[in-house]
Amino acid sequence: MKPNQYSTIRKIILTCMILVPFIPFISILGTGYYYFANSLEASTTARLKRVVDDHSQMIQSFLNERKADLEFVQNAYTFEELSRPQGLTGVFQLLQNKSSAFLDLGVFDQAGVHVAYQGPYQLKGKVYNQYEWFKNVMRQGYYISDIFLGYRNVPHFIIAVVREENNRKWVIRATIDTFTFNDLVKKIRIGTTGEAYILNAEGLLQTERRSGGSLMEQDAHYRPHLVYHEDMRVFIDTDERKREFLYVTTWLKNRQWQLVVRQEKADAFKALRTATYLIVIISVVGGVLIIGVAFFLTERIVRRMEQMDAEKDSLSEQLIRASRLAELGEMAAGFAHEINNPLQIIKNEQTLIEMLMAEIKQKGELKDSENLADIEDSIKQINLQISRCAEITQSILKFGRKTEAARQDIELNSFIPEVIAMVSKKASVNGITVTQQLQDHPLYVHADPSQLQQVFLNLFNNAIDAVIERHGGSGGQILIESAVATDGNINIHVRDNGCGITPENLNKIFSPFFTTKPVGKGTGLGLSVCYGIINNMGGSMRVSSDPGSGTTFTLDLPAGKP
Amino acid sequence: MEKMKLMLVDDEERFLATTKKLLDKKDIEVVTAANGMDALEILRQKNIHVVILDVKMPGMDGIATLKEIKSRFPMVEVIMLTGHATVESAIEGLKSGATDYLMKPTGIDELVGRAEEAFQKRQRLEEKIRLAQSRKFMKSPRDILRDAEKPE
Repeated sequence: MKPNQYSTIRKIILTCMILVPFIPFISILGTGYYYFANSLEASTTARLKRVVDDHSQMIQSFLNERKADLEFVQNAYTFEELSRPQGLTGVFQLLQNKSSAFLDLGVFDQAGVHVAYQGPYQLKGKVYNQYEWFKNVMRQGYYISDIFLGYRNVPHFIIAVVREENNRKWVIRATIDTFTFNDLVKKIRIGTTGEAYILNAEGLLQTERRSGGSLMEQDAHYRPHLVYHEDMRVFIDTDERKREFLYVTTWLKNRQWQLVVRQEKADAFKALRTATYLIVIISVVGGVLIIGVAFFLTERIVRRMEQMDAEKDSLSEQLIRASRLAELGEMAAGFAHEINNPLQIIKNEQTLIEMLMAEIKQKGELKDSENLADIEDSIKQINLQISRCAEITQSILKFGRKTEAARQDIELNSFIPEVIAMVSKKASVNGITVTQQLQDHPLYVHADPSQLQQVFLNLFNNAIDAVIERHGGSGGQILIESAVATDGNINIHVRDNGCGITPENLNKIFSPFFTTKPVGKGTGLGLSVCYGIINNMGGSMRVSSDPGSGTTFTLDLPAGKP
Repeated sequence: MEKMKLMLVDDEERFLATTKKLLDKKDIEVVTAANGMDALEILRQKNIHVVILDVKMPGMDGIATLKEIKSRFPMVEVIMLTGHATVESAIEGLKSGATDYLMKPTGIDELVGRAEEAFQKRQRLEEKIRLAQSRKFMKSPRDILRDAEKPE
């Protein structure tokens, strides 16, 4: 398979492995976030609304109660009764007993004259008919003021009610302690930043605000929201310090006051923010994990595929080579057989010529001459060449033969030295050191001894030739090494420090008739035969070479039984 | 001592002709046959000691000819001549009763040498047979009569 196909496969697997988990992963997180945010917003708003609802009713009823108190007093007592200082004092004490919010109590006649007063100040006798509150109460029948400073220069608000008695109107007025009223609103607390306060129609704070803002202070920033609306209004706005607040407002007291409940958005949606952080962390960690695993697995899968393809390729290459060798073998055998017949005739003809020549010479019919000597030499040469041809055909036939090998378990520690002994003379004559590095314990292979011997002799002879080519008469080294491979097979390495094999020759080294030796020195069948033998044994043969520094042939043979 | 009579069987006419000339020069009595049928016919007519038989021939091939020779003339020594250097064909020949085998191309001296060996083997065998027969003479005249009734 081509490398760009692997990169396509890698891309596809990677995309699938990242996208497939990512889509549900992100969907789950997204859906969860969406519904959680919605429900949190709904519940937070509902909580604020409930607070607004409860407290607006409480405040309204507080105001109504105080008003009702005064109305009760007016109904229970006459103007004359209350005009007397002792009478008013008694009533005031009764009122204070009921609600400590009452600070003082005053009675006014139709002209606005302060007829009686019970409280900490000296206000008796003052005339109020020009005051706005007095005009209002006379017109409306009752009046609840905004919080104001008035004479006392302390924040307070007043409730005044009017009663008509014997065609004469009189007014009773109470000052309500703003602190008591303040507490009522101020103690509302939602989360850490949730608070409530009251603003009048001009935007002045009617109660203290916990987050800052004293009584009577102007909340200018809030001004745009002081428009009238029915029921409750929910909105989000930023304050002067750029904090986002969730507001719920409602109008009280005949649209004069607005109850504001607000909570900083960050506080109200703290859980959402925590959830968001968690979602981000989970997304990042999960994403990194998914991508990491995807990359890791993809790499493994693709590498495994590459490995399998490579194995498949090498296997099919081996198969092709083996079948090609088998075909070649058959062809070569047939060819050799056909050559042998004419060779036989030529040989006999040559023998006959030789004999006849000898006879003629003996009879003295032929005089010795240079030409005659040449003819005799030619005849001899023909014989030599016939022998050479015969040798080649023998090798070819050996290569092509399909004999059933007589396999047995061979102990290498004794077998290898025996084979080495056969070539040791040739090696020592050429100054080659043959070293054996065999395993200490006996190693067994299952093979035909004569075939294995042929393979070893071939390898040793090749090694010797290669070493001689490079080093001449001295300095050659051949190392024979045995080892147990990881898969349990027996490996035998034949290493030489000879001339080496060029890469292009390395590819053809096991092909029949391939030789680098001069004409007449090699048939090019040796390694090819070896290859066939080892393959038949169920083993394999490898070669690696470094031109100029040496060659290693490795036999990978199935292990035998001891 | 009896002289060896040799027969060459091969489909190559030139091989037969040249080899015959060479053997004549070596003063070896030789006849030739170009195929198996001819060889069997010659064997029927003449007393041949050793047959050099090519394995691969058109028509009746070497192995078939060998089997036929061995069944009809068991005393004849056969040397297989093969262009195929496989051990199998040699083994098959030897199993079917061939005395020896030669691989092409073979030298004339080699050929003669092997033929002589085979001939000597036959001589020894004939000697034994003669000896055994002479013992039979001594033992039972009736046997001799019976043998006479039953020609070989």
